[in-house]
Amino acid sequence: MDQFLPILLMVVLASAFAIGSFIASKMLGPRSHLHAAKVGPYESGIAPRRELAARFPVRFYLVAMIFVIFDIEVVFLYPFAVMFRQLSTFGLVEMASFAAVVFIAFAYLVSEGALDWGPGKRLGSRAGAPVTRSLNATVRRVARPGTPPSARPPVLVEGASTGSGAGARGLDPVRAGASGPHGEEG
Amino acid sequence: MSGGTYLVAAGCTINDITGKISGLCTAKGSIHISINYPALVPFFVLGGGALVVLLLSAVLPKRPYRGLWAGLTVAAGVGTVVDGLVQWQQLNGSSVTPVTLGDQLFYDHMGAFFAVLFGVATVAGAAISDGYLEREGLDGPEPYVLMLSCSLGAVLMADAAGFVTLFLGLEILSISLYAMSAYHRWRAASGEAGLKYLILGSLASAIFIYGAALIYGATGSLQYLGVVSFLADNALFQNGVLLGGMVLVIVGLGFKVAAVPFHFWSPDVYQGAPTPFVGYMAAVAKAAGFAGLLRVLMLALPTLESTWRPIIWVLATLSVVFGSILALVQVDLKRMLAYSSISQAGYVLIGLQAGTAQGVRAVAFYLFTYTFMVIGTFAIVGVLQGRGEARNDLSAVRGLASRSPWLAGAMLVLMLGQAGIPLTSGFLGKWVVIEAVLGQGQYELALIGMLGAAVAAFFYLRVALIMFLAPESPGAPAGGAVTLSATGGPGAATAGGGPSDGGPESSEPGDSGWAAGAGRAYSGSDLQAIVTAGLSARDRALALRPPPHTRVRVPAATAAVIAVCVVFTVFAGVSTPVLSWAHAIALPWSA
Amino acid sequence: MVNAAYVIVALPLLGFALNLVFGRRLGEPLAGWVGTFAAAGSFVASLITWVAMLGKPAGMRVASLNIFTWVPVAGLHVNTGLLVDPLSLTMVLFVTGVSSVIHLYSIGYMHRDPGFDRFFVYLNLFLFSMLVLVLANNFLFSFLGWEGVGFCSYGLIGFWFQREVAAVAAKKAFITNRVGDVGFLIAIFLIFDHFGSLNYSSVLGTLVGGHPTGLMAGAAGAIPGSTATAITLLLFLGAIGKSAQIPLYIWLVDAMEGPTPISALIHAATMVTAGVYLMSRVAPLLHYAHATSWVIASVGTGSAFLAATIAATQDDIKKCLAYSTISQLGYMFMAVGAGDYADGLYHMLTHAFFKALLFLGAGAIIHALADNQDMKKMGGLARYMPLTTVTFGVGWLAISGIVPFAGFWSKDAVLDSVWQMNKVLWGIGAFTAGLTAYYMSRQVGLVFTGQARWREASPALAGAGGASGHAVGGPEARAHGPEAHGRGEHEATEPGLPAPPHGGEPKDATWTMSLPLVLLAIASVLGGGINFTAFGHFDFLNRFLSPIFPYATPITLSTATKWTLSLVVLAFCLLGLGFGLRTWRTAEHPALEPVFLRRAWYWDATVAATVSGPLRAAAAALAFVMDSRLVDGFVNGVGTVLGLSGRVVRRVQTGYLRTYAIGIGAGLIAFLAYVTFRVGS
Repeated sequence: MDQFLPILLMVVLASAFAIGSFIASKMLGPRSHLHAAKVGPYESGIAPRRELAARFPVRFYLVAMIFVIFDIEVVFLYPFAVMFRQLSTFGLVEMASFAAVVFIAFAYLVSEGALDWGPGKRLGSRAGAPVTRSLNATVRRVARPGTPPSARPPVLVEGASTGSGAGARGLDPVRAGASGPHGEEG
Repeated sequence: MSGGTYLVAAGCTINDITGKISGLCTAKGSIHISINYPALVPFFVLGGGALVVLLLSAVLPKRPYRGLWAGLTVAAGVGTVVDGLVQWQQLNGSSVTPVTLGDQLFYDHMGAFFAVLFGVATVAGAAISDGYLEREGLDGPEPYVLMLSCSLGAVLMADAAGFVTLFLGLEILSISLYAMSAYHRWRAASGEAGLKYLILGSLASAIFIYGAALIYGATGSLQYLGVVSFLADNALFQNGVLLGGMVLVIVGLGFKVAAVPFHFWSPDVYQGAPTPFVGYMAAVAKAAGFAGLLRVLMLALPTLESTWRPIIWVLATLSVVFGSILALVQVDLKRMLAYSSISQAGYVLIGLQAGTAQGVRAVAFYLFTYTFMVIGTFAIVGVLQGRGEARNDLSAVRGLASRSPWLAGAMLVLMLGQAGIPLTSGFLGKWVVIEAVLGQGQYELALIGMLGAAVAAFFYLRVALIMFLAPESPGAPAGGAVTLSATGGPGAATAGGGPSDGGPESSEPGDSGWAAGAGRAYSGSDLQAIVTAGLSARDRALALRPPPHTRVRVPAATAAVIAVCVVFTVFAGVSTPVLSWAHAIALPWSA
Repeated sequence: MVNAAYVIVALPLLGFALNLVFGRRLGEPLAGWVGTFAAAGSFVASLITWVAMLGKPAGMRVASLNIFTWVPVAGLHVNTGLLVDPLSLTMVLFVTGVSSVIHLYSIGYMHRDPGFDRFFVYLNLFLFSMLVLVLANNFLFSFLGWEGVGFCSYGLIGFWFQREVAAVAAKKAFITNRVGDVGFLIAIFLIFDHFGSLNYSSVLGTLVGGHPTGLMAGAAGAIPGSTATAITLLLFLGAIGKSAQIPLYIWLVDAMEGPTPISALIHAATMVTAGVYLMSRVAPLLHYAHATSWVIASVGTGSAFLAATIAATQDDIKKCLAYSTISQLGYMFMAVGAGDYADGLYHMLTHAFFKALLFLGAGAIIHALADNQDMKKMGGLARYMPLTTVTFGVGWLAISGIVPFAGFWSKDAVLDSVWQMNKVLWGIGAFTAGLTAYYMSRQVGLVFTGQARWREASPALAGAGGASGHAVGGPEARAHGPEAHGRGEHEATEPGLPAPPHGGEPKDATWTMSLPLVLLAIASVLGGGINFTAFGHFDFLNRFLSPIFPYATPITLSTATKWTLSLVVLAFCLLGLGFGLRTWRTAEHPALEPVFLRRAWYWDATVAATVSGPLRAAAAALAFVMDSRLVDGFVNGVGTVLGLSGRVVRRVQTGYLRTYAIGIGAGLIAFLAYVTFRVGS
């Protein structure tokens, strides 16, 4: 059992830290009397009917993924450096090809414009269906008053060309809301 | 526990009790790695192909040549096929060691066989994707890169000699497939498919890797040969960890092959994902999953055979039964084919359940023939559905026999093949797996397999029949409908030799409208009743809609793939070279 | 060079595939030329193989070529392979030769038919199947060809399937053949049971280094006589069906509903001789089954006589020739029964020439007379169709057994061997020869001489709006069906249609139809030369075939006896010939056409009554109880239950990931629970 003691200790410490953080923020944070209208996004006095989809630029994911790729390269390069002599020529060739693979991926990213961070640049210039601003694509992203919850607007943008009826059948598969067309209907 | 082993460097382990150094670091100081390079050629070809496509897409203008990416992918696939065959020749009668790359990979007949299979699937998949992506306006290098890396992962899974390599292959394959499933940008269902596949797939991967860890914990090895030699040398008093690990690994791989009850993802993903990719995925993911499962169960865990065979038995039975029954009530073609592929996986599991060399060869043959049938079928569905995958329901094939007789003929052969009708490779495949379990005295499983095939025959033939329905609206009088002589269709059982007029047998049609009376020609409305039997009222209306009016356009490459698939299905069904080839697989273990 | 044998089989298959895929696009006449060249190429390949084979010593002319193993189940290894030996090569040579000629003829004959390409698809498939039948090196592969030719025969008899008569005739042929095929199949089972193999070489023996082995070597007691008798009798049942002998001959006459080239090729020259081929092939087995030999000889003699009597009273030109075919096939079986296989094949060859010639001639006449097939409504055609008259005349003299035409020599040889076996059978055979000469002369008389009765019968031809028109327009009158724009009815009003292409008088056909007539006429004159048994060293066919028929019964008659027999038969023939020609200058001789013969001894009616009476009632009752109630009830019940359970079970598939994850988890937990019970075991 001795060998597992450090692990147990680690678990206890981690839990304590997590719980402690919560307690601390509760204790140290500014207190105020909260109610629904107060925490609502619009202080207009009208409670929202549904949660808003948080808009989040997809570019941040790309940046994160690019980072991960190069991070991993470094993760591999470091032990290689340590074992350089033992691995000799084979290791060198191996690492060179690994670096080449990552480099090709990098070249692809550059050509796709993943690193063009200036304004006005759009990804997916190859996209077949142009994502145009239309009633479907923008306005209906926000629920209109009176729209039943089951007719939730699409999360994934329907091309303008597919348009009308399909929009009402869009779905948010993870969330418990709509019945997706992909399940069996009973 | 035999003491801890520590990973010193990649593939180099040192046992802290015995001091034994194993793996890559055979001598202290310098590391000698023995690599049998011919074994790695498929990886170079597929991985190199993917990199070439990626690099060219970066340096060439955005739309270089139509078909360039597909062409490169087909070339890489052909290279894999050729190399698989070359490997097979080299392995024939030679005494090449079965493992290489520091015991991480097998270099054997089975690996070569599956390399050919994956190469074929890559060629066919790329060829049918070209026309589809062009039609959908999605053409680009990405799907081909993904397809090649997916095939790479599949070959890795089939060649893996240890759980780490297997997991590596599994992840390469899976991640590529997630992205391919979600590739149809302007179809919400495609995104949903990708997301569902990703989340459930990650769950399955986690289960798998946990199982591998448990097995490692119990045996101290991640290599199949290490596991099996440990289990041969040591009798475990408490093998709970090992058994638990085994179950988790089976579940992880069972997810990939879509065996009931780990199949839930597959209907949704098959329905949503781009059609040609589904055909490719159905062939490759299944074959790769089974290749991994075969190696793990037959090679690493033969000592637990008495425990895993009942598990596989249950999986096989559930898959065959539920796959067939659920396919029966589908009106969406792709969804129906998803359930059909679940039931097909059940047959492969039946072969695996035999746990013999004969069973392994039967599985290999089954998977090889299924590759052609399923890709051919999805190729046809892909061209029929029209732009935007507008029509996927059964009515899309309605009246195809008159609109496009060649396509209808091809579809008919492929449907008959999957139903396991004699003179097709599907029949021979079912025959060999059932023969394999019969050899083990498993009569009940053979019976289940045959009954399942009887049920499955119905929904395959339903597609065939709808193709011969007149393309008019369902309300039209029967006069214009095709009259089918009593000797065809599911009514064959009822046909008999009855005369066509008079006689008492022509008095009443079946009450349920399921089958018309024996011995008289079926009218159009009877036929409609037959083809929609078992469907709910709403689905019935959906299935009997008039077909789309657009002309079916079959791109040349797709037509070639369909032709090859059809010819192969018949060829492998009426002659035995393919079967003999599968039977010639020399296994690296004595089963 | 034996490898050319592959080409023999491959070319028709290629032609079939080409016409199947591109036939519609090739259209007329290209599809026909593709088919014809495939057949002709096959013939050339046969010639090459034959020449190569002649280069070897007599005993070494056997080659077995394996293509691949077809069925490798446990003890049963069936190869798809070819066996090239004198017997199969003889068959192949005449089959491909006659086929090529008839393919050529068909291009003209099927002109303007909407099914032109389909016709050549069938024709090439037929040729392929026939070649498989004769070239296969085992019983099962032969059976495949056997069924293949049966299928093509079905498709071609019912080629104009819009017509009820043709469709019914096709079914009749197919079903009647099934009866025989059952015998063939059971024989195959028995052979496998006794020999453990289906290969001809293992079952029947073969030639190794010029010496026969196995059954061919004829060791006493190599096979029990009863087994050999059972097998050969069952095979003969198959042969009876395919070669239209008593009692299964009824289909062949109805088969005349098919296009005339088909009647010539399939139902006269090639397919119907498959039975004779099969019995010759199993000659080593027949050696051990004397009873079967007697049955074969008797059935052959009976068929020859019976069919000849019926032929003498028929009005339809093609039906008359069909009965004649049955009769001539009877002669071949007489030879086989007498153990004289080489002469059986000899007669098969000469018959193929002259019967194909007669059919093609008949086709030309039918064409020229706007699809009239009634001989009573012909007459006096010699003046209008000189080429057809001359060629048809050659065929007539050949089949009548007039010296020196081909039929004389082969019939003579057959009758010699029959004499040696049994004198009664010879008597019937000789009388039948006279009868043959009579009915053929009747035909020639009715068609070519006397009054031009077709003028009244076919007002369309005469160009005058006479009585009612096509009273007895033969089957082919409507043959080309509505889709052929009513060739029979609107003939005269549609210029450019083939018959008659001119003002209204019948005349000789186009060159594609005439050239085959000439070629076959030449063969019918000279064909006897391949086997002059009467003159010592000119019996080429006998010598070619003798190595593989080591147990053929040799003809030991003295030369004087042979001459006497020949002269007697010839006298019979001349008598029949003279009487026939003299009598049938006019069309009405009711005394010579008794009703029971016109109705073919009522055999067809008897069969029909049996089948449609008690048999049909029994089948209907069975269908009602078994099919409607038991089978349908069961199927419907199962279907309903499955459909319902499917709709229930599908509710699990909600579309929500959480349900799916729960499903996977539940499965995982169930299996984990299971293994906890197995821990420690």
